[in-house]
Amino acid sequence: MTDDDFALSRRTFLDRVLLASAGVGMSAAAPWAARAAEDIAKGPRVRIGVIGTGDRGRTLIQNLNKTRNCTVAALCDNFEPHMAKARAYVPANTPIFTDHRKMLEAKGIDAVVIATPLDLHARHTIDALEAGYPVFCEKAMARTIADCSAMVTRARARGKILQIGHQRLFNPTYLNALKRAQAGEIGNITQIRASWHRNRSWRRQIPPGGTEREINWRLYRDRSAGLMTELATHQLQVANWFMGGLPTRVMGSGSICFWKDGRDVYDQVALIYDYSDGRKVIYTSMLNNARYGCEEQIQGSKGTIEPELGRIYQEVQPGAVPALARMRADVQAGRKNTVPIGGATWFPELPVTTPGDSLGWGEYDETMLQFEGFGEAVRSGKEVPGLLAQAYYASVASLLGEQAIDQGQALAWPADLVTF
Amino acid sequence: MTGAAASVARFAAMGTRVELHVFGCDDPAALAAARAAILSVEDALTIHRPSPTTALNDALSSGGNAVVEDRLLFGALVQVDALWRGTGGLFDPSLGHWSALTIDRASRRVSSTRPLTFDFGGFGKGYALDRAVTALRAMGVPSALLSAGESSIAVLGQHPLGGDWPLAVPHPANDGAWLVELELQDAALSISSTIGPGAAKPGRAAMIRPTDGAIVTTAATAIAAAATGAEAEALSTALLVSDPVARDRLCAAAPEQRFLFPHAAPVGAERALEPTA
Repeated sequence: MTDDDFALSRRTFLDRVLLASAGVGMSAAAPWAARAAEDIAKGPRVRIGVIGTGDRGRTLIQNLNKTRNCTVAALCDNFEPHMAKARAYVPANTPIFTDHRKMLEAKGIDAVVIATPLDLHARHTIDALEAGYPVFCEKAMARTIADCSAMVTRARARGKILQIGHQRLFNPTYLNALKRAQAGEIGNITQIRASWHRNRSWRRQIPPGGTEREINWRLYRDRSAGLMTELATHQLQVANWFMGGLPTRVMGSGSICFWKDGRDVYDQVALIYDYSDGRKVIYTSMLNNARYGCEEQIQGSKGTIEPELGRIYQEVQPGAVPALARMRADVQAGRKNTVPIGGATWFPELPVTTPGDSLGWGEYDETMLQFEGFGEAVRSGKEVPGLLAQAYYASVASLLGEQAIDQGQALAWPADLVTF
Repeated sequence: MTGAAASVARFAAMGTRVELHVFGCDDPAALAAARAAILSVEDALTIHRPSPTTALNDALSSGGNAVVEDRLLFGALVQVDALWRGTGGLFDPSLGHWSALTIDRASRRVSSTRPLTFDFGGFGKGYALDRAVTALRAMGVPSALLSAGESSIAVLGQHPLGGDWPLAVPHPANDGAWLVELELQDAALSISSTIGPGAAKPGRAAMIRPTDGAIVTTAATAIAAAATGAEAEALSTALLVSDPVARDRLCAAAPEQRFLFPHAAPVGAERALEPTA
């Protein structure tokens, strides 16, 4: 791709975001989208210090490099193999650190991006906020609901930007899906069935010098809630977004039923989130069958949206009765024939396999767009509106789901959360 | 009305496919009124979501009583009461407990001496078509054919080309064979069968004879024509679950309108069909 091609693709992508976010009600439902797609102000790039250079951290670095307003100005990781890979994406003279506090003290940055294991998010975020830096932290927010709340509270107390990575919020397909749902195309949304199914262990090979708990931190409860925080968080955010509200309670069940390899997080979960007026989100995630993959089936009285597939489906209306169609044609032709009718009618309630219509607009660089929004927020001192609430409630929903599974009982939505 | 085009409405209601074919009237309000009438009956009689019927079921499920405010539900109860008597108890949407029921028409209070609930089933379709016919007639429609799931049919007025509506009921298993051919005008037709598409599928409710609780599994098709859909539905259901004595009594009362066809022959057999009336 040439620079011109990239610029054209970027403009097309931003135009689609703007178009998708311009519908009725969209300014309230996705206030960040239009603002993030606005032109970037001129001025020096925001210097970013990245804490955590594992797979996700390196992906974020590559996206930061695509932005028009950010630059990676420092790297921090205490695991040399990861750092060595990350340095390939930044200038050779980029300062590197093994202790995040040293990077914060070095003063060569304007903001911090955090891509460390989940249990470290809160400490790294709060340390950065206390040092006076705006923070972009990968989802999920933190290992506990209390830490999620503390991150928000501390950002407010320090008057600093806190933004959490949820790329679907910037995906034009999702924005267009929300626009069409808000326009009433699928009727009243009463159920969302979301799943993230994979058929692999989720276990990573440990490179020389690495430890099981450092590399495979997603598999251990003291570091992660596994499927709930690493996968479900994305889809619970989408669910809250399309439901236009928050759950009232959650119930669930989980087990380690296939990958009995020493991990202590569930490899299979099934949960029901209740919303107001009896609406429900049904969530499942598993690691030994990938047929149904990652999807949110957003179901209303008039249709269904599947944003990962980028499809919208209308409810199927019954087909014509052939005998009555013939009768009608006969009458029009002046023929009076016997109408054969009266056979028992039975419609098998099998899954409907109509192809639906395209929502259009495949994904592009929504992660990059998040960073451009973050960069502008850092420059202006004003957060991108709406994002933090979406991320906070998604993390709370995932962690509350884990608690409901652990306790084997339905749990009410917490009453002591931060409000927005 | 030679060459008349039909106005058609097709929609899902009452768990099935509804088609309304109206001739000689271009006013879309007519079809809209008929559709609304059907949906109103569905709202009143459904047991698949909260409705006046589920509310009444809640009240009577412990043998209590309730005042029925909904006029459609109350009208259905009154009609069913007459049809229950007329069929000797063979049509009973309370699964054999109708005798425990008292309907006070003045106060609209319904009470039961034992726990019971209602599932109006196919009766609801006939009752809904009756309401739709009434709505079409009020709109000045001279001719119409209405179908609810193809097993509940109502015809309004004459065929658009004049005379009766010629209808034929196909054999449920033998393609191309007809069980009976009927000529109808301002009438309804109902077909009930223990065989045919989906009849043997898991989860399909069995036919039960209300008078003794027996599950009716004999392969047969019952056909009833009557002045109203409600009556036709009650009679086809009663015929299907009837014993030979009751069957003969019901058929003898209107031999050109009531039929019970056993399907003892293997599917596809060449042997002649054996209508009992």
